[in-house]
Amino acid sequence: MTLSTSATADHIYANGLRNQWHAVVPSRFVAPGGMRKVTALGEQWLLFRRSDGTLAMLADRCPHRGAPLSLGKHLGDRVACWYHGVEVETDGTVSSVPGLPGCNLEGKKLVTSLPVREVSGAILAWFGDEEHPEPAELTLPDPLTDPEADAFLCYAEWDVPWRFAMENLLDPMHGAFLHHDSHTMFDGDTTAKFRIRETDRGYFFEKTDQRGVNFDWVELCRTGVDWVDLSIPYPPSAGPGGPFGIVGMACPVDAGRTGVFFWRYRRVQGWQRDAWRFLYKTLIEKRHWDVLEQDRVMLEAMPADADQRENLYQHDLGVVRLRRLYRTAAEAQSA
Amino acid sequence: MTDPVNGAWPYLDVHQSRTHEPTPYEYKLAATLEEVFTHEGHELADVVRGLNARQVHAADGAPWTEESFRAEMNRLGA
Ligand code: FES
Ligand SMILES: [Fe+2]
Repeated sequence: MTLSTSATADHIYANGLRNQWHAVVPSRFVAPGGMRKVTALGEQWLLFRRSDGTLAMLADRCPHRGAPLSLGKHLGDRVACWYHGVEVETDGTVSSVPGLPGCNLEGKKLVTSLPVREVSGAILAWFGDEEHPEPAELTLPDPLTDPEADAFLCYAEWDVPWRFAMENLLDPMHGAFLHHDSHTMFDGDTTAKFRIRETDRGYFFEKTDQRGVNFDWVELCRTGVDWVDLSIPYPPSAGPGGPFGIVGMACPVDAGRTGVFFWRYRRVQGWQRDAWRFLYKTLIEKRHWDVLEQDRVMLEAMPADADQRENLYQHDLGVVRLRRLYRTAAEAQSA
Repeated sequence: MTDPVNGAWPYLDVHQSRTHEPTPYEYKLAATLEEVFTHEGHELADVVRGLNARQVHAADGAPWTEESFRAEMNRLGA
């Protein structure tokens, strides 16, 4: 159940990169004292929260005969498998084998448990492979830690490979076409020149001849977790505070499914912040949702082999760069 | 709305920031606020004047003051 170090590069490329943090589900999906089964990187996991809020993530596989622990019972600080009652603690240690007390499974750490952190309403987990169980340093997206900014998380589940979801974010030009009939991306030129600008944490893919009009730039950031940052102008109706930004992450669920996380943020304070939040909840969230649905409809309709038969042009450099980066990482992580 | 704790794949919910369906008062205030932001600008004094000029008042029917508007935004935007 641990992510194996012998997986092929193709498997890793399809099901998600290891040895980094990924957002898994929103925090509110696991209530205090609750459990939730999730799929991530093509494997089954159990999220499990104690009543004091402490969260744990275990491989969803009983160390006895492999039954899903998610069908078991929450015992406060441990889970009891439904099949024969074996109890597992939050760190993966078997605390008791009720059918055979003193059995040598007791006290052994037999279930993979992933390090977890909660960040701005999302659960992040470290998906290390067998050789890298210890988490690497995680630097959180600065818009989410900036006290001058305020954010709402929007989470959705799409039937698309995770890399299609990421490629869509590294493709700003689709804003002027796919989202032309939207509240935010109606404006700007439908032709553009792009460039890649390297940074110490990833790269920018940006228009050279237009800024602040449509979805004109995006930054890919690899800071222990992969995320993008981008900015989109609001119309005057959204009130003071200028454009809104998006911090985006994608959870590779399995080869064909992705959980997408979009924090819409704005640098606003005081009454301006409150007014934006009020408008967001009442009217604006629905409009953002309509835009996101345009992405989902398009991406879900893409053929599975879309990236096998393409004719790319200059606007696709950001995507090409991303693929090369992910493909190289998948190869490095395979045996 | 799908139950976020037990909901089945896919989770697709338009409204994830709300705690309740907005009341008619909240809808009207929000729509008018958008109109005021568009036509009167983004300064607090202009916003308060714009709302009052449109006769869209606080829940108790009183005209807005900067103070009452701030307080109401704080309550509704929390
Ligand atoms: S399979 Fe879980 S206790 Fe036997
Ligand atoms: Fe889009």
